[in-house]
Amino acid sequence: MTLLKAENVSKSFGGFQALKGASLSVNEGEIVGLIGPNGAGKSTFFNCLVGDMTPSSGTISFSGEEVSRLSPEHHARLGIGRTFQLPTTFEEMTLLENVMVGAFLRHPSLRQARQKATEVLHLTGMGDQIHLKAKTLGTPGRKRLEIARVLATEPRMMLLDEALAGLTPVEVQSAITLVKKIHQTGVTLVIVEHIMEVILNLTQRVLVLNQGEVIATGAPKDVVNDPLVIRAYLGASYARTAALGTTAIRGTAVGGTAVGAKPT
Amino acid sequence: MGKTTRLNGESALNKVIEKILWCVLALLLLLFPLSFHNPYYEQLGSLVLLAAISASAWNLIGGYAGQVSVGNVVFFGAGAYLPLLIYKLWGISPLYGFPVGMLISVLIAVLIGIPTLRLSGHYFSMATIAVAELIRIVVSNWDFVGASVGLTGPAVAKNWSDLVFRSSVPYYYMFLSALVLILWITYQIERSRFGYYLRAIKSGERAARSLGVPVSRYKLYVFMISAAFTSLAGSLYAVKFGFIDPSSGFGLLISVNMIIVAALGGAGRLLGPLLGAVILIPLQAETNSLFGGRGTGLTYILYGAIIMLIARFEPGGLLRLWDLFADKYLSARSFK
Repeated sequence: MTLLKAENVSKSFGGFQALKGASLSVNEGEIVGLIGPNGAGKSTFFNCLVGDMTPSSGTISFSGEEVSRLSPEHHARLGIGRTFQLPTTFEEMTLLENVMVGAFLRHPSLRQARQKATEVLHLTGMGDQIHLKAKTLGTPGRKRLEIARVLATEPRMMLLDEALAGLTPVEVQSAITLVKKIHQTGVTLVIVEHIMEVILNLTQRVLVLNQGEVIATGAPKDVVNDPLVIRAYLGASYARTAALGTTAIRGTAVGGTAVGAKPT
Repeated sequence: MGKTTRLNGESALNKVIEKILWCVLALLLLLFPLSFHNPYYEQLGSLVLLAAISASAWNLIGGYAGQVSVGNVVFFGAGAYLPLLIYKLWGISPLYGFPVGMLISVLIAVLIGIPTLRLSGHYFSMATIAVAELIRIVVSNWDFVGASVGLTGPAVAKNWSDLVFRSSVPYYYMFLSALVLILWITYQIERSRFGYYLRAIKSGERAARSLGVPVSRYKLYVFMISAAFTSLAGSLYAVKFGFIDPSSGFGLLISVNMIIVAALGGAGRLLGPLLGAVILIPLQAETNSLFGGRGTGLTYILYGAIIMLIARFEPGGLLRLWDLFADKYLSARSFK
């Protein structure tokens, strides 16, 4: 069953067209990756999907309901949760209070919201820190807290905006485990990520954006070897190298600064 | 396990300390006018409470929701003018003007709030300044409300409901009751979903929206509540002094006063405004009487210095300093 469907979504800022007719379809229970080099339009597309931006044209529907012009809070009520590229935790509130803000969406009473928030904090591995203030956490903790906060809203779909960026390899592994755990609870996921390890490990399908257009879609292993994708990330000379048999963008990170062999 | 026990013990001790502090505070407030049979201190006490009421009202929108309204003076003015206007028009007790003032203030809050609360940060503050100044100019030129001369209340009381007393003590207890009411309602808000939402909005509107918080609606609600209480402060001011004019009802410095009082004690904290008023109002009274009355301008120099100090060193106000002290010494001594 299709949960999220975006058709021919375009977004312009004055004379600049950031998104040119991008389409995406996500089935219930899937994990879909959204990748592309810097400036490809990922954030714009992401912001359109979560209601932060209204598309200039095209439609977005969630579970059959048209949502392109609805507010972010309406998206949350429908079951679309999102995290932010730069963590936006409520700094002066404790971890428990942060997560309770999300829990209130489905549990209006204080007691129920507290119970739900405690459950979620335990699920995300922060059960022993619930009375700490969010501002005392480092980047990995804040990213985890953001995920917990969204989980407390009991979303049907979560969109993670580079939720693993800036983490050490060990932290990335732990975050991958957490994302898998969330997926097992039945939440559909859309992941915007630069770390290819995450995309290859987690996603079932990948959509590649470049200059506002979808240039490839398919299984992660196929997409990373697609010459069009390699060209978009690393340039034409790199694409030729890749065509000679090298897997080009399976390095540690993509997005303008890939780690791998230099083009000859 | 050990950590949890320590946290529980810490929390229990904090609760005991909190209860003791509440009792001491209640006793101090109740006994203050009875301890000093001196009109100066009785008057000063009532002014402290009045400042605490208006700052507590501002604290809801400015402190808890983080929307720095400089336009709350509009509600103060409406609350101050209505009781005296009703008395002037029909000769009835100014008391009837209290609810009318509150109702009109709430309506004004809706009218101002719907367009301005969409603005963020400084833009909201600037918009509220503009509205406040506009209303002050209109009132200054509107004969129906006394124009620049203003309005006066009953000179002699026909009965108690005229709220004219020779001593400041009845006003003191009247103000204390109003303050207790506001603080109780604020406490209830603080502990409810509403309070959590306000703090989330203050911390980040975009993040709050993404979690399903109806940001615009809640900002408007709290603005309306803040307007009603600010209006109450204005009405109490009017019956205490029996006189109101555009500068004492709608002067922008009244808003500035509310903000500084709340910020000094701790904006977004229940007792922050009261603490700020206890410190600032006596200071203001002292500087006003310095140099045989020529020190009045010093108040504003003092305000400027306080704003700079708060902004530079502790935006959380004095209660935040107390938190840091308590975290460092009280908990450490007992549990570490």
